[in-house]
Amino acid sequence: MRKAWVVAKREFVSRVRTKGFIVATVFGPALLAILLVAPILLQGNTRAKRIVVIDAAEGGLGEKIEAALTRATRGGKPDGEHRYVASRVEAVGRLEQVRDSLVALVDRRELGEAGVDGILLVTEDVLATDTLHYLGANVGSPSEMDVLTRSVREAVLTERLTQAGISPAVLMQTVKPIRLATTKVSQGTLTGQSGAASFALAYIMSFVLYMALLIYGVQVMTSTVEEKTNRINEVLVSSLRPFELMLGKVLGVGSVALLQLSIWAGAAYGLTQARGGIAGLAGISPEAAAALPIPDISLGLLIVFLVFFVLGFFFFSAAYAAVGSTCNTVQETQMASLPVTLVVVSGLFVMFKLLGEPNGQLAHVLSLVPPLAPFVTPARYSLSPLPLPELVLSVVVTALGVLAMAWVAGRIYRVGILMYGKRATVREIFRWIRAG
Amino acid sequence: MSGPVIHLEHVTKRFAGHTAVRDLSLDVPAGTIFGLLGPNGAGKSTAIRMMMDILVPDEGRISLFGGSVGGRDLSHRIGYLPEERGLYKKMKVVDHLVFFGETKGVSASRARAKAGEWLARLGLEDWTDKKIEDLSKGMQQKVQFAGTILHDPELVILDEPFSGLDPVNSQVLKETVIDLARTGKTVLFSTHIMEQAEKMCDRVVIISRGEKVVDGTMAEVKREAGGRHIALAFHRDAARAAPVLRDRSLVAWADDEGASAEVELAPDADPDRLLETLVASGAGLSRFEIVEPSLQSIFIAKVGRDAATAAAITDQPGSARHA
Repeated sequence: MRKAWVVAKREFVSRVRTKGFIVATVFGPALLAILLVAPILLQGNTRAKRIVVIDAAEGGLGEKIEAALTRATRGGKPDGEHRYVASRVEAVGRLEQVRDSLVALVDRRELGEAGVDGILLVTEDVLATDTLHYLGANVGSPSEMDVLTRSVREAVLTERLTQAGISPAVLMQTVKPIRLATTKVSQGTLTGQSGAASFALAYIMSFVLYMALLIYGVQVMTSTVEEKTNRINEVLVSSLRPFELMLGKVLGVGSVALLQLSIWAGAAYGLTQARGGIAGLAGISPEAAAALPIPDISLGLLIVFLVFFVLGFFFFSAAYAAVGSTCNTVQETQMASLPVTLVVVSGLFVMFKLLGEPNGQLAHVLSLVPPLAPFVTPARYSLSPLPLPELVLSVVVTALGVLAMAWVAGRIYRVGILMYGKRATVREIFRWIRAG
Repeated sequence: MSGPVIHLEHVTKRFAGHTAVRDLSLDVPAGTIFGLLGPNGAGKSTAIRMMMDILVPDEGRISLFGGSVGGRDLSHRIGYLPEERGLYKKMKVVDHLVFFGETKGVSASRARAKAGEWLARLGLEDWTDKKIEDLSKGMQQKVQFAGTILHDPELVILDEPFSGLDPVNSQVLKETVIDLARTGKTVLFSTHIMEQAEKMCDRVVIISRGEKVVDGTMAEVKREAGGRHIALAFHRDAARAAPVLRDRSLVAWADDEGASAEVELAPDADPDRLLETLVASGAGLSRFEIVEPSLQSIFIAKVGRDAATAAAITDQPGSARHA
């Protein structure tokens, strides 16, 4: 097995040295930083929209809507930035004329402060019907329309309540929703982690495994095919067992994956820790920037995740290596690897499904299915830790599954890497597996 | 060492539909240069792959260094250059050689030193830190060869080592192989180029369609082939000599290469009469020498005799060259 180590070392060094690896490793965190900082910066730069309320109604509804728009702030906080600069034009009996003269000012950047972003038409029948007309350049943005609707709805609701003789304050107090504040208890100890954070963690872990398999598992496959095309296999198998070659390849590529993920995880941790400072640079209060929950990962969960990450990586990389050995070109692998990729994808989907019910019957069963357990078990563990016997059983069964897969893949690989010409049929592959 | 380094005993290998090697037995004595000869598709590479434990024989026994351990577990004592050459294109020359060395169990530092030595010896020292893909085909072949012998193996197995090399590089390789044999190594190489084998080999085995047809030292093989061989060359109009070469009362068999030819005299023919006839033909005889049979002619006689005689009968000069 010392020779497998030589192969792993070569795979690792030759991959880590490539420009692609360096670029991806550096740009990953850079992209993350941009994703984290960009919304904060963009938020700071959005100007308040100038909205004119054309008031063709008696009884002060127009004034209330104007007031509601003026009150509206970003993030809903009283001291936040104002969303709108609202003004009101009396237009009883001459709605069309006022509207047409104002439309001429909409979306005319050259007018500067005198320009208008949108026009809200308040008519007598707004209270009776449920329709309010808005004319503007930004009607294509669902989020902006959503926010606008909310501001207006509040004003209309208050007006309707007042007319019906109900105190809006009393009603608001009555219908206030109940919020369930969750705190996770893990093995008799308060973790201080909210349910949402462990949910996010389960999601992130599965996704990391999924990405690693689709990027690095597939690299095991393509490099197997490239070795076939290079005709280097015969030189290698004269001094190494094909299994040592496959093992070395999986180990080498797997280490590259772990290295890259560790760098990314470290960078992500550093960035989230420093986000207060980053927000400060953008002129935003640290409290406002602290919206993203940082999941606290416990040591136990980290170990469970790493164990299943390694098991899952071995399982699928071996499968990908076997697929690669039956193909002659990288193009061929795209079709041939579909069954393996489908299992990877289904692992992610099954995990989503189980997030709703991490301790259901299905969850117990799927933790014992080797290809799916690497997705299911860590996710379940993060939501509510499994009893130790069940966790151990899941690890053992998955490890046995990995050994079985390594055996089958090794048999296919052994024959496949020296086969040239037509791609092997499924029947031939079964013969390779059975052959002594 | 007393026993043979490689010993094959009634080895047979079948693939779906055909038998690649049939009942092959051979011994490669220590310290010799051994030629495994045969036309394309004769089963040379299959035989070598079985020696290297890459293929398992269906029948028979293979023994290396007198033991029963397979070729892969002895890979630190064997250098193998497969017919299918391959290198990692993106690796640096020296890193690649170190990797090859390490797969044979040589430490990285020793492999690096050895790689330096061989690269210098093969005239590639300026290319040490270049990537494989920047090298010409011939240079890549030399790198591959250096990788084969980097770990100082006792036995060197080369499958078609000369294919794709220009005359200068062929010469470098030939000298290196001869040097290896001088330092007591055993060399087995396969080829279908007889001139090369004739100059280098102590012993040869010729196989055809998976079966052994000739086996022995070079001297034995030539003696056994017997017959009176005459080397001819023409400087004026070789075509006029063609009818003479087809005259079965004079010539038993001819390897007609146009401007030159090697013929075997018919059993009762008189060399003087052949000389007279050839001079009279007006082909411009420039060489007439009674010679030992060349390996090429033995090869054709043993492997391609059917084809050769068929060609003579159907009156198609030149088509006897089925090498």
